[in-house]
Amino acid sequence: MKKISYIFLVSLLFSACSEDSTLDIAGMFSPQGETIKARFAQSMLYNESRSEIHLDMAQDDYAIYVCTDSHITRTSHRNLAYFVNQYENASSPKLALHLGDLIDAQKNFPCADSVLRLGERAIDDTLFITPGNHDIYFKQWPIYRDYFKTSVYWFDTNNGSKKLDLFICLDSAEGDLGVDQTNWLKTLLEEKSKEGYRHIIVFTHTHLWKLDASQGHTSNYALEATYELTSLLSKYGVEFVWSGHQHARQSVIFKGVQYLVLNATKDSEKGQSYMIADMSESIVYHYIDYPQQP
Amino acid sequence: MKRKFLLIFLFLGWCGVGLFAAEHQPGFGTRRYTITGMAEYSYNTTWSHHANLDVQALMPFNPHFEMEAKLQFSTANVYTGALQMRPKFELPVGELFIETDVMFKALARNRISDLTAALGIGYRMDYVSVTLGVFGRVIEDWDRSWYTDESYIVEPFNVLYRLEVFCRPQNNPWNLSFMFSNVDDYQMERMWQPLFSIGAWYDVTDNWRLNFGAQCKPTGMFHLDATFYGATARVGFSYRFDK
Repeated sequence: MKKISYIFLVSLLFSACSEDSTLDIAGMFSPQGETIKARFAQSMLYNESRSEIHLDMAQDDYAIYVCTDSHITRTSHRNLAYFVNQYENASSPKLALHLGDLIDAQKNFPCADSVLRLGERAIDDTLFITPGNHDIYFKQWPIYRDYFKTSVYWFDTNNGSKKLDLFICLDSAEGDLGVDQTNWLKTLLEEKSKEGYRHIIVFTHTHLWKLDASQGHTSNYALEATYELTSLLSKYGVEFVWSGHQHARQSVIFKGVQYLVLNATKDSEKGQSYMIADMSESIVYHYIDYPQQP
Repeated sequence: MKRKFLLIFLFLGWCGVGLFAAEHQPGFGTRRYTITGMAEYSYNTTWSHHANLDVQALMPFNPHFEMEAKLQFSTANVYTGALQMRPKFELPVGELFIETDVMFKALARNRISDLTAALGIGYRMDYVSVTLGVFGRVIEDWDRSWYTDESYIVEPFNVLYRLEVFCRPQNNPWNLSFMFSNVDDYQMERMWQPLFSIGAWYDVTDNWRLNFGAQCKPTGMFHLDATFYGATARVGFSYRFDK
């Protein structure tokens, strides 16, 4: 019995994320759906079919509401609803980013749809999202794509004809950007870094560093990918990388780039917060705690 | 008849293995000063195709202490040096060892250096070797400005694990091994980034050994969508000096 318990515990440790914590040993070794190569190709196909997104903020200063890892289920989405409410009712010009793991497991996208009211949003709406591992795992990419259309894209903000800030969304839901996405990022940064943007910000789900044990048993990038991505972002003047995944706040500056990891928006976790970044000539950010559940 | 023949064969085989093990336990063949040169072909989705040249020196100073120095030159413009010191204690069955490891990786392509220091404890028998330990990492930018908030990256706590299973006793003139670990001779990956390796050797003469190896490195195995990241194949020779 003891032996069986050990085997069960080890199996749990090795299991990938799944609905109701069912085991998925196969998922540890092979992709459960489209890989980053396919997701990137489909995203580029969509991006080419629509016009570029340039958001006119009507003034130089504006706010960005950022949250991550909401892991919503049909019964647990209080914090995300609060975040959406705060963002929508803010008076200043603003946009919002969700850094992935919007849902917790399969079958929860309709719930996300009702909280975010995706049907009411135009294609150039100011709410943007990047996919997390929970959003695409268990072959959920087609559903994610139906709702959000693309997982790799960029947009910029401007004030009339004056360029303000560039935002780049990367798909890191499997802990690797892949060859095509990395080449795309390099080409984009080469081109855009010459256009005189005030700030360049990259947002993606998976964090780069393992500064402490807070990430638990979730993996991130291979070291080679960490070094390469860090150098690339530094070379082209990226100022911030915003990510989630490890559910613990973190900030570190390396090679001139500030890496911010946000803690989770998930209802059941302690110390949840979201971030507001005030964009002007400099970026000033602060965290807002979600109201405690009575 | 066939069944009887098979049983006799298995019994004789079992006796043979027992006698062989009795003759050679404890110890893992004659540990001699050895120099190894390996050529590697490697691919990963970040550095694409590249080749590595490895040089290793094993220095068993006495039955209780050995040192290994390792160098790797990569066409990816990455250079690695590692030093291992290994106190050993022979037990009635197998061998206990403490592994201290310092590894420095100069990533000239990224102008980054990566320094890791590890401390582990291991137990090795003829067919199995297990190591468990901890290591810390410091990642440094070669162009760091000392007048800003910029800092080096410290990843203070990582678990090191290595489980290697051999098909034959380790003093056999040929062998085949399978390894599951997050470290190898030239990399110490984060604990949730395992490496799967196979290795083989064949002693051509008493002094020359032919080595083969291959490794697969997936990514995202824990709570991400697992996918292939890289692979390596290696071949080389070892020269063992006479006593």
